[in-house]
Amino acid sequence: MRGRTLWARLKGQAAQRQEDEALDEEIREHIALLEERYRSQGMSARDASRAARRQFGNVTGLMERQRALRGILSPSEWWQDVRFGARMLAKRSISSAAVVLALALGIGMNSAVFTFVNALLLRPPQGVSETNKLIEVWLHNPKSSGVMGNLPFNYPDYTYYRDHAKSLEGLMACAEAGREAIWNHAGTGEILHGQLVSGNGFSLLGVNAVVGRTLSVDDDSVDHPRQVVVLSNSFWKQKLGGDAGAVGKTLMLNGAAFTVVGVAPEEFSGIVVGMQPDFWTPMAVQERFTHDKAMLSDRDSYSLIVAGRMRQGVDRKSVQAEMHLLAQQVALAHPKEQDVLDAMEYPLTLVPGPYRGYVGAFTGGLLAVFALVLLIACTNAAGLLLARATGRTREMATRSALGAGRARLVRQMLVESLMLAGMAGAAGVAVAWATSRLLIQLKPASIPLTLAIPMDWRVVLFTAAVSVATGIVFGLAPALRASAVEAARVLKEESQTAGRKKTRMRNVLVVAQMAMCVVLLAGAALCVRSLMNANAIDTGFDTHHIAVASLDPASLGYTPARINDFYVRLKERVERLPGVASASYVQFLPLGTARSETSVSKQLGKEPSPTMVSVYRMDSGFLRTMGISLLRGRDLTVKEAQSEKPGGVVINETLARMMWPGQDPVGKRLAMGDDKTMSEVVGVVRDGKYHTLGEAPVPVVFCGKLPTARILVVRAAGDDRLLLDELRREVPMVDPLMAATQVQTIEQHMALPLFPARTVGWLLGASGLMAVVMTTIGLFGVIAYMVSQRTHEIGVRMALGARRSDVLRLVIGQGVRLTVVGLGIGLCAALGAARLLAPLLYGIGANDPTTMSAVAVGLAAIAMLACYLPARRAMQVEPSVALRYE
Amino acid sequence: MGDQKSEVLQGTLDLMVLKTLHAMGPLHGFGIARRIEQVSDGVLDLNEGTVYTALLRLQQQGWIKSEWGTSENNRRARFYSITVRGTKQLEREEENWERVAGVIEKVLRLERQR
Repeated sequence: MRGRTLWARLKGQAAQRQEDEALDEEIREHIALLEERYRSQGMSARDASRAARRQFGNVTGLMERQRALRGILSPSEWWQDVRFGARMLAKRSISSAAVVLALALGIGMNSAVFTFVNALLLRPPQGVSETNKLIEVWLHNPKSSGVMGNLPFNYPDYTYYRDHAKSLEGLMACAEAGREAIWNHAGTGEILHGQLVSGNGFSLLGVNAVVGRTLSVDDDSVDHPRQVVVLSNSFWKQKLGGDAGAVGKTLMLNGAAFTVVGVAPEEFSGIVVGMQPDFWTPMAVQERFTHDKAMLSDRDSYSLIVAGRMRQGVDRKSVQAEMHLLAQQVALAHPKEQDVLDAMEYPLTLVPGPYRGYVGAFTGGLLAVFALVLLIACTNAAGLLLARATGRTREMATRSALGAGRARLVRQMLVESLMLAGMAGAAGVAVAWATSRLLIQLKPASIPLTLAIPMDWRVVLFTAAVSVATGIVFGLAPALRASAVEAARVLKEESQTAGRKKTRMRNVLVVAQMAMCVVLLAGAALCVRSLMNANAIDTGFDTHHIAVASLDPASLGYTPARINDFYVRLKERVERLPGVASASYVQFLPLGTARSETSVSKQLGKEPSPTMVSVYRMDSGFLRTMGISLLRGRDLTVKEAQSEKPGGVVINETLARMMWPGQDPVGKRLAMGDDKTMSEVVGVVRDGKYHTLGEAPVPVVFCGKLPTARILVVRAAGDDRLLLDELRREVPMVDPLMAATQVQTIEQHMALPLFPARTVGWLLGASGLMAVVMTTIGLFGVIAYMVSQRTHEIGVRMALGARRSDVLRLVIGQGVRLTVVGLGIGLCAALGAARLLAPLLYGIGANDPTTMSAVAVGLAAIAMLACYLPARRAMQVEPSVALRYE
Repeated sequence: MGDQKSEVLQGTLDLMVLKTLHAMGPLHGFGIARRIEQVSDGVLDLNEGTVYTALLRLQQQGWIKSEWGTSENNRRARFYSITVRGTKQLEREEENWERVAGVIEKVLRLERQR
């Protein structure tokens, strides 16, 4: 009804004049008819006319009422405001542009972060149908908490849930980890990334092939699996030239022939964050791609991401209830198992369910930081509008005297600030687009992670909402202030003096700005210092002059002897390369993503409280190549490293201290895991960092018995970057079907553990810089404005004998007061906020006094500079000129 | 009754106009005023201009629509007619009116209690 009324009014407005004329005609006609009637009753023409008018009532009043009824929400008045506002903004185009630019940066940064929030947490993965009907299911161990409490599915449980869930249209599974496969073509080997997916996967996700077909349930039959693949669009275009004839051809993957059945759409890259598979293949053919032969029957192999589509009319709550029920049924069927697992459902987004909280907290923190930047930009804009409002006091007073209501004046001012915010929002979208692409560049190159960050309607909606909120936040105070004019007083007084209240409000804004700036800058400084510390952290191994490469010849189906032969020959060749000091193998690198743990004790069998240690399986010479220094004893011998039975081990200081405090551990014996014989400690190495840079000392065992998948570690005599290409070349020289993956320098490897600190450091650094610039401009504006308002006063003072230094003191004093109050409030807030950063900081306390005081002193110096420029102008005031002017 | 005339109750004019249009079909403003005068037997003191305000209000609610046409004596006139939504609204308002009128009647009939 309201809408209809509004529309009627809109239409009425458009035809205001015609309406008036039509009504006029109707009224004239009506009165004429009345007159006619009275005359026919025998009245004189004059009496009839008078009677008719009396009967009709007040014509002018009626016309006015009609007009008011038609035009209360008069769009034409809005349009007037917009046009007038545009003229006012254009009149001060430079300051308007400055406001728009600052706001655009603020809004854009927020939108950029939101783009990530959206891509990671709000929308389903790209290319997947957007119906809000897709959910993810995770196993959940009620005994543990946090991320560790959530487990991916195992295959047997998945099939049970798939076959019994009634609230779901279907349940699909895909492997949590990608599978690397060697693609042999034209006599060479190339590493491809594949993903195992259940046969119903594509259809449940609503993903259709652009060429050929997607996988079907028949492809994924456990008894008769078909060796078929669906190619990713990019692989198909880049490697196969986008040839539609590729469908039906075969690819040799890990030595087996796979038939290409179709090509996935361009935007689809699976449902797991960071993975960009080259191909998808049915779950049932997993034996071709993994050493875990029993994956489909093993209940202890938890490696599947499981997602389903809810049935029509089913909500997430009832799905959760059913998952809970199914979990109980599974537990009943397996009474012997210790851990009773529950199941939890999450919305299907790029970030797996259990990690949503962490990613949400991280991005939420970033949003808070940039909201602060935006607030600072808002206070700048508000300050500018306040100053402008003062200049427009007479305009407001005149309009008010001419009959404009207060609401109308507020509306005029709000329309102007919303126009500014609107322009800033539009520019902000562009800033967001550029920034989000820039942010992706921060990701270490070594992580094979691609993120599609689409800008969909959610991002646009968010930006629009932020812009409108911004416009109201910075526009409302000046608008209320400006509209509260006492027309009579203002128009009587000739001079346009600034109200005391207006100045006070600007002062409050500058203090708030300064305080927010301190918070941001302190955070930024802490992060940058911690980043510097992190780069200097002692990792216990060399972070320079080492090149690494991952190898897995077992995926070609080679025998152990052939694999061993490959590794021996490769090492020989690499060691002969010029510029190579030494080479060795390790199971995985410290500070990487993979880790392995086992228990150690002083005797065989079960010990009630064994020590959990990290295990690194290595070849002889690894310690030397990696630059891990031996404190006591010796490295493993080649024989010890290659022995299948437990023999010698090397431990780190921490484990030595834990097991044999105050004794020499060399020669002592320990039992690892389920080993049947004891191992002997042959050496002790210095402690290092193994999982994260910030960790407390961790006990570690280095032992032999390398698995078939290894990392080649090469120590360079010179520049390690020069070795990378040679390593890539050497591998196929030893075996043409083989290819190395993740060939990189140790510096590139280190980008991963440094990633969180680096990202936060960059972002906070950028926001701190923006905050400083905006705050400086804000303070400068206030002081300059004060000087311009007090020119007359300063002139009088100087005429009465004040020296220039007195004037300087007067102006600077004003700035100092604002700065000191702002710094004080800001430091208190910063001390509180820094505590949130503590987990990200290396080797620096969150309340680090040096950083805090440096921030305060630096900001104070910048603030003084911002005050000095206007103060200099004040000093140069010629008393005679200033007085004459007034 | 003669000279004793009643004021039009606030809000009732819209209902009267709506009902008139419903009963008589399309009419111009003058016709509506005549019809109300006729039905009220001259009891109501109707300021005829207010009919046009009522017409505009009803039109903005979408309960009536208007068209230019030719009147009985061949003059250009705007004819108003009730819409489907207007008919529904009329039903609601009639019910409402009857309820209220019933209550008022009962209240007025109350005997003085001793």
